[in-house]
Amino acid sequence: MANGASHQTELFDALRLELRRGCLVLAVLAQLRREHYGYTLRKSLAEAGLEIEESTLYPLLRRLETQGLLTSEWREEEKRNKRFYRLSGEGMRILETLLAEWRGINDSVDRIVESGNLNKER
Amino acid sequence: MELLERYLKAVGEHLPARGREDMLRELRANLQAEIEGREEELGRDLDSTEIAKILEAHGMPVLVAARYGQQQFLIGPGLFPFYWYTLKKSFPLVVLAYAAVQGIAMILATGSADQLGQRIGSALGRFPAVALTFWAIMTLGFAVFEYVQGRYIPKLTLPRWSANDLPPLDEAPKHSFAHGVADVIVSILMIAWLLALPNRPYLILGPGLRLVHGMPFGLTPEWHVFYWQIVTLSIAMIPLKVAMLLPSLRRWRQHLDLAVHALGVMIPLVMVQVRTYFVAGASISANNLKSLNGINAGINFGFKIALAIALVNFCWEGWKLLSASHRHSADFAAAK
Repeated sequence: MANGASHQTELFDALRLELRRGCLVLAVLAQLRREHYGYTLRKSLAEAGLEIEESTLYPLLRRLETQGLLTSEWREEEKRNKRFYRLSGEGMRILETLLAEWRGINDSVDRIVESGNLNKER
Repeated sequence: MELLERYLKAVGEHLPARGREDMLRELRANLQAEIEGREEELGRDLDSTEIAKILEAHGMPVLVAARYGQQQFLIGPGLFPFYWYTLKKSFPLVVLAYAAVQGIAMILATGSADQLGQRIGSALGRFPAVALTFWAIMTLGFAVFEYVQGRYIPKLTLPRWSANDLPPLDEAPKHSFAHGVADVIVSILMIAWLLALPNRPYLILGPGLRLVHGMPFGLTPEWHVFYWQIVTLSIAMIPLKVAMLLPSLRRWRQHLDLAVHALGVMIPLVMVQVRTYFVAGASISANNLKSLNGINAGINFGFKIALAIALVNFCWEGWKLLSASHRHSADFAAAK
């Protein structure tokens, strides 16, 4: 029984990770319509209810920048040099397309779940 | 902040040289901001234990650094299905080619039956190394292709295919009724043949019977015991094979099939225990006695191989049955 439970937890964690992966990119891109540096971005995402590990977020920012979706610059703030990121023009276009896709998927999943609930009630 | 610098140094050791300083600078700024943010919340400086907790939550240096690296794989997900397919399809050809080469080498070589047994054993012993070499070469080839495609040559594009080119469905299902009936008939004929053997030895040796009469050795007396054991096992298979044909027992087909395989394991198991198949006659020479030992060893080795194959087959069928029943229960639970 314990094995079965741990297998289920593992399976859930793997599926959750898969589900979150794409959503995190979308959330990061959306949040960077306003300028942020790594720490404040993480805080703002957490405040919005989306916790993300530092060790996942910081490399992700660099990857998105390499892909041309973000721009960054080193700037001094509160007597410390920090790297600020914001969405690039290309990033903005991609974000809009991704958001449309996301809303479409969301609506479809909602409809599918709803129709499943209706069938159960019958 | 000494702990932070030690942490950054440890991360830096695993970061790629290109861009390392920039990554560490950014990481330092973010971690410092996090520490200061926590200090602001508490209204005091953090002690080393609290800083350690923040760093530990950030992650093990080697893993943190690994996330900054590019995603790397030997054979990527796009190429992997082709790699796996090629391995699966070409491995039986490797086995066949190896068996053919070894078989020809054994035919051309001269020596006693004892040496033949040793040669077979040594050929089997060398095969894992051959299989491993084949696998390594294939993997290396595909890994090189993965590396160069997109860098030095265009990325692999899938060929156009048409649904009309798909292979036709098998005309008869694997477990057809006709196949089952033929199996029962052949099994009955085999039993009849086995039962006829003691009185009509020419059924097994044919014209070679005259040759055997002149040989200075004969069958071991234990043959009678093992002979009846084999006949009994063969007869026991018949009702199981007949039961597999009955539509009412179709859902138990796999279990019955497994029982038939279990009996199939018993036959070589009995034969392996014999060890001495032929015994020397009164007028045997030293040379012939040596050859006789080799023949007995060779036959025993052959039955050991047959037993190993039958066992693997039985385990494979058992595993298929178990996984099918597990899948069935999972599907049933999901449907509920």
